Amino acid sequence: MASSARSAKPPLWRDVRVLRIAGQVAFVLVVVLVLREMYLNATFQLDQRGRSLSYDFLDSRAGFGVKEHFISYSPNRTFWRAFWVAVTNALVVTGVGIVLATILGILLGIARLSPNWLLRKLAQGYVEIIRNIPALVQIIFWYTAVILAIPRLEQSISLFGLGYISNRGAAIPTLKGGADFGAWGLFLFAGLVTAFFVRRWRTRVFDDTGQPHYRFLWSSGTFVAIAIAGYIILGDPFTVEIPEVGLRSLVGGIEVSPEFAGVLVGLVVYTTAFIGEIVRGSILAVSKGQKEAGEALGLRPSQQLRFVVLPQAMRIALPSITNQYLNFWKNTSLGFFIGYPEIINITRTMTNQAGHELEIFSLLVLIYLGVSLGLSLIMNILNRGVALRGATG
Amino acid sequence: MNAPRKPPRTGLGEDVIATIPDTGRVVETAPAKEPQTPAEWIRQNLFSGPVNSVLTVVAGAFLIFMLYRAFGFVFLNSDWRVIQVRMKGYMAGSFPLEEAWRVWVSLYLVVALAGFSSGRAVQIPRGRAAIARAIAVTVAIVIVGYTAQSALVRLLAVGTAGVFIVSNVVGRLVPHPTMRRIRLWGWILIFPLVMVIVRGFDGVPPRLWGGLFFNLVAASVGIFASFPIGIALALGRRSTLPAVRMFSVVVIEVFRGVPLVAWLIFSKFVVDLLLPPQVNLPDIIKAFVVMTMFSAAYIAEIIRGGIQGVHSGQYEAARAVGLPTTRMMAFIILPQALRATIPAMISHFISLFKDTALFSAIAVTELLEASKRLGLEFIGQEAQTLVFAGLVFWTFAFTMSRWSQRLELRLGVGER
Repeated sequence: MASSARSAKPPLWRDVRVLRIAGQVAFVLVVVLVLREMYLNATFQLDQRGRSLSYDFLDSRAGFGVKEHFISYSPNRTFWRAFWVAVTNALVVTGVGIVLATILGILLGIARLSPNWLLRKLAQGYVEIIRNIPALVQIIFWYTAVILAIPRLEQSISLFGLGYISNRGAAIPTLKGGADFGAWGLFLFAGLVTAFFVRRWRTRVFDDTGQPHYRFLWSSGTFVAIAIAGYIILGDPFTVEIPEVGLRSLVGGIEVSPEFAGVLVGLVVYTTAFIGEIVRGSILAVSKGQKEAGEALGLRPSQQLRFVVLPQAMRIALPSITNQYLNFWKNTSLGFFIGYPEIINITRTMTNQAGHELEIFSLLVLIYLGVSLGLSLIMNILNRGVALRGATG
Repeated sequence: MNAPRKPPRTGLGEDVIATIPDTGRVVETAPAKEPQTPAEWIRQNLFSGPVNSVLTVVAGAFLIFMLYRAFGFVFLNSDWRVIQVRMKGYMAGSFPLEEAWRVWVSLYLVVALAGFSSGRAVQIPRGRAAIARAIAVTVAIVIVGYTAQSALVRLLAVGTAGVFIVSNVVGRLVPHPTMRRIRLWGWILIFPLVMVIVRGFDGVPPRLWGGLFFNLVAASVGIFASFPIGIALALGRRSTLPAVRMFSVVVIEVFRGVPLVAWLIFSKFVVDLLLPPQVNLPDIIKAFVVMTMFSAAYIAEIIRGGIQGVHSGQYEAARAVGLPTTRMMAFIILPQALRATIPAMISHFISLFKDTALFSAIAVTELLEASKRLGLEFIGQEAQTLVFAGLVFWTFAFTMSRWSQRLELRLGVGER
């Protein structure tokens, strides 16, 4: 009697397995109902205005100009194209910005721990000031108070006649490829490969004989020699285009708009402070014995830092730095406030032109999430590369 | 905790035998250092080698250049009367002047609570810290004295310092357990109370809020309102029910992955489409709701970190005494997890406070927007108006981050 009672199934409303499934079904039902309600509201309101949910408009003519684009664009192109212009604009700022912020951040982190009192305090002051002011305030400050305060086009600052800086933007010389430009590219590639092998050869010589390797001089010398040889053989594969002050803007060369500069400088200055603190923390987290071991081997302080401490510190820093990269990517949205044509800016214009708020917002969400996901994937692969093999935890 | 006492100093270069006080044990210590002269200090810290000397010269030149520019900007090239004229706009936006007492009362309450709850943690600084504090206080007095529009405002501003001191003394005198209870409930109730003071009794509607007051209120909404949602999302993310877990993950990642500007624009231009047509919420309320979700996603991640930091033995102990999941979470896990997250919460509050500058995207006259409009009004003085807004943001964020660092030390987070 007792044993049969124990083996009998509990009633359904007390069976944990049933309850779990029932609970989840109820939960999903509520979520679906709420989403359905939202969908119905949207279609109802759009119906009243004689519109419908559809992504077809993306293939129609955009009809608005974009000041700055890294891929070809004109108002006659589609909304899709305009959206991709926005994405590439944001990606270019992010790409250039995270490289700069990483380099500067590492230098800042080292400066924070410098034996030089003045440098240390200066770096600390930088961090304390920059970290506690909103990035947006800083970007607007750089844009309105610094960059737009640069002399106007007519009085632009000349960089030895090679480049110009004005409040309409800055321009630096650029290479203009001729017919054989592609062939010259092959020479450059060949130079790179040869330089790599030269470097390995010098390293081996050093390992075998202990003679100074000078491998940087050797390899870069090889590269430059091959590049020059290619230039002479092909006969002027490119010309250097020097920018000039035109009537209304700078002509020629690589141009940087004030808006681009504002976002870039603002975000790099801001992110550098955060990366600097991460690097500082990571250097401190490397066991002191490592530095002492380097010292015992007779390495100079700069060598200890470069070959012993920093590689280990970067391993610790990488996950936090990834977070800063993701923040940088999201912070490009602040360009909206100074008129840089990034994603928010362009999607606002698209909405003004075409309506379709919901569809455009969904694109925006997808692209922000997508790029964030891509970035963290790349960084995870990188992280796996540098992570300690066989480490526990 | 007492600092370890220094062993008595004997001659240089000899091994020093020191007696540890109270125990009588004799130990060998490193040779005592000779006290440094200023010249030695400079040589060691600034000119210890060629590289170091170059660094000192370059850094020194840079510092002098920056100080020179800053001095010129502050004292020669700027007209700070702009700030003085529009101080009210910076502090409270278009808040009606005759209702300003509501803001002052709220400010006094918050200051009193802050003074009370810092209690013994506030110490009269000595040595270099005292000099730094004195300089900071002087600068603050000069700035407040200069920017305040009337004697009344000056008096009220000075009054906040008085309230802080008085409440601090009270906080020291009240027995500690009582003080802790009042402190806890004070911080929980202060925000609703301020809302009642500002909004209740024919109060001021949110669309008139602005300036620093708005930034602080928005950041507080972002903490207080999103706290329950954050806890729910954090628990959901750790739930064993796949449907609940997936839902929480999607909500958290979507809100965290998209910048706040986009969410604010969503709240103003898109969200109406998803709501029933008869619902007609003010822009500010919609923005607050969306920001609350944004903040809740971050809070959920903070709390998840806290929950993961609770030792697994605590779960096992709770199970062993037969607690069901809900009670285990409510009485055993969450109290420990939340305590560990206090510093992270404060830094989230700071970054949220900085993020409230983004409300200028939807035309709220918060601190930054107020200064931008001032810049449009007084052409050529954009830099001053922005610098002042930046200074106010900085003062608050910096003070809070210092406070959080001290709190972290006191709570001993990460040391157990």
